[in-house]
Amino acid sequence: MTRRVALIGTSAIPVGRHQTADDAALQTLEHEIMTRLVIEAVQDAGVDKKDIESLVFTLPRPYTRQKYFHTFLMGQLRLSCRGNVMEVMGNGMTAALAFDQACNDILLGRANVALALGINMESAVPAAEHMMSSMRTTGDVDFHTSAGFTPIAWYAMDATRYMHEHGATREQLGAVAVKNRFHASLNPLAQFRKPMTLEDVVDQRPIVEPLGLYDVPPRGDGAACLVLASEEVAKSLGRPYVLVRGRGFHHDGSHQISDVPNDMIAFDSVREASATAYAQAGIGPAQIDLAELYAPCTIVEILVSEAIGLVPRGQGARAAMDGETRLGGRIPISTSGGLTSRGHPAYVTSLYNYVELADQLRGRAGARQVRGARFGLATGELGNYNAAMVHVLEAMQ
Amino acid sequence: MTLPVLTLDAALAYPPRISAFTKTFWDALGEGRWTTTCCSACGRQTFPPKPVCPHCWSAAVEWSALSAHGSLYSWTRIHAAPAVFAAESPYACGIVDLDSGIRLACRLVDGPDVVWQPDMRVEMVVLRYQDGPLFAARPAA
Repeated sequence: MTRRVALIGTSAIPVGRHQTADDAALQTLEHEIMTRLVIEAVQDAGVDKKDIESLVFTLPRPYTRQKYFHTFLMGQLRLSCRGNVMEVMGNGMTAALAFDQACNDILLGRANVALALGINMESAVPAAEHMMSSMRTTGDVDFHTSAGFTPIAWYAMDATRYMHEHGATREQLGAVAVKNRFHASLNPLAQFRKPMTLEDVVDQRPIVEPLGLYDVPPRGDGAACLVLASEEVAKSLGRPYVLVRGRGFHHDGSHQISDVPNDMIAFDSVREASATAYAQAGIGPAQIDLAELYAPCTIVEILVSEAIGLVPRGQGARAAMDGETRLGGRIPISTSGGLTSRGHPAYVTSLYNYVELADQLRGRAGARQVRGARFGLATGELGNYNAAMVHVLEAMQ
Repeated sequence: MTLPVLTLDAALAYPPRISAFTKTFWDALGEGRWTTTCCSACGRQTFPPKPVCPHCWSAAVEWSALSAHGSLYSWTRIHAAPAVFAAESPYACGIVDLDSGIRLACRLVDGPDVVWQPDMRVEMVVLRYQDGPLFAARPAA
């Protein structure tokens, strides 16, 4: 029988400011947070220390002083493993890759229980300084960075083009932020929980036109741990679990921008990746009950929701404005509060998206619960969705 | 193709690295010549210039002229800038589709009277900084 992978346990700290300034008398140490989260996630899963055979970490930010954080943590936990111990990195896709690699270890038989985990600390580094590094990640460092492009500038250009082609308004884009803030108000892990109005969003100072402060992601720190297992292990535990039903990946062969003109707001890579994941799961977008999208800006959530078939092309902004993507709506998106309000500690962001899906599909999301949620979808990406990773998960009671 | 040159009394905020290969491009740009590589095997241009054709992987590439005109695919104005660009912010950047079929991203020559619109006509220019050139676009004359 073909092996299948289940998500059986999670833990996370609330997204927010955890990193300490270099001159603080008392420092926050990443491994102290991470070890506690491993214990919590393993307890949530109901497995034992000796069951863990693989650990796939997200790469820490360069600001984390302890290098080789992954193998350092093995020593902190006195864990010996036969499967795999590694750090993965893929810009915004980093945490989705960690999840996917942990799935691989289980499917290959290298592990029956694997952890996907990591910590992202950056909030004590001022934004203008942090951007000195992040500006080198998107585009060509010599031909684009020299002109002043920043990561979210590319999403801003998506927004300009989308508004031009589909007549969408600033208010419709802003509706995504308002909706996500409402979701975040119900999520104890969220960074920003105070409800806000559309006026609040539209009135913010511009960051990258046409996007304002609340259309773009806040900066924050986060850490999370996921426990994955073979379905056999999951079944033996006698608790609800979440089955990984479909996985898809696609890289469009360009980095940020193709010199052959294409439809940049079609997000073809996530359309392709979702088609693969849907086919594996044997379902279509109509069966999805909720989606946790890697969407750093309001416009990105709109474009991804269209590309993966949850909303018709050109209708994503309108759908957000009309409440279709809100809790209780036709297809709730970003019930965690999304990257704009739940928060965006980039290298672990997708871990939080899987935490939300695990909560929802195990019926533990409290006031955020999507009733009867069976299928959930998560995306990860890098660049301007030049590459995308999609996972389709199913609730198993 | 010769581009208009705008001389700036400032240094580049984040100078591009120059290799023995890209030196040809930057030196030409400094003189207002707007060029990139074109593959001798498959005949396709690419931008930025590359020593190997990304389409057919041939290393037989030659320098060729780029179109000086195109249309603006999209644009943004960056207010939250990295530390080295803070003095210039806000500044506008955009994506340009050259008439010869190449898409690129560059700085836009912004100003209080300029209204940027997707699909508007633009022309490429050289920004001659004290220590080197950059390519940019401005509304077509």
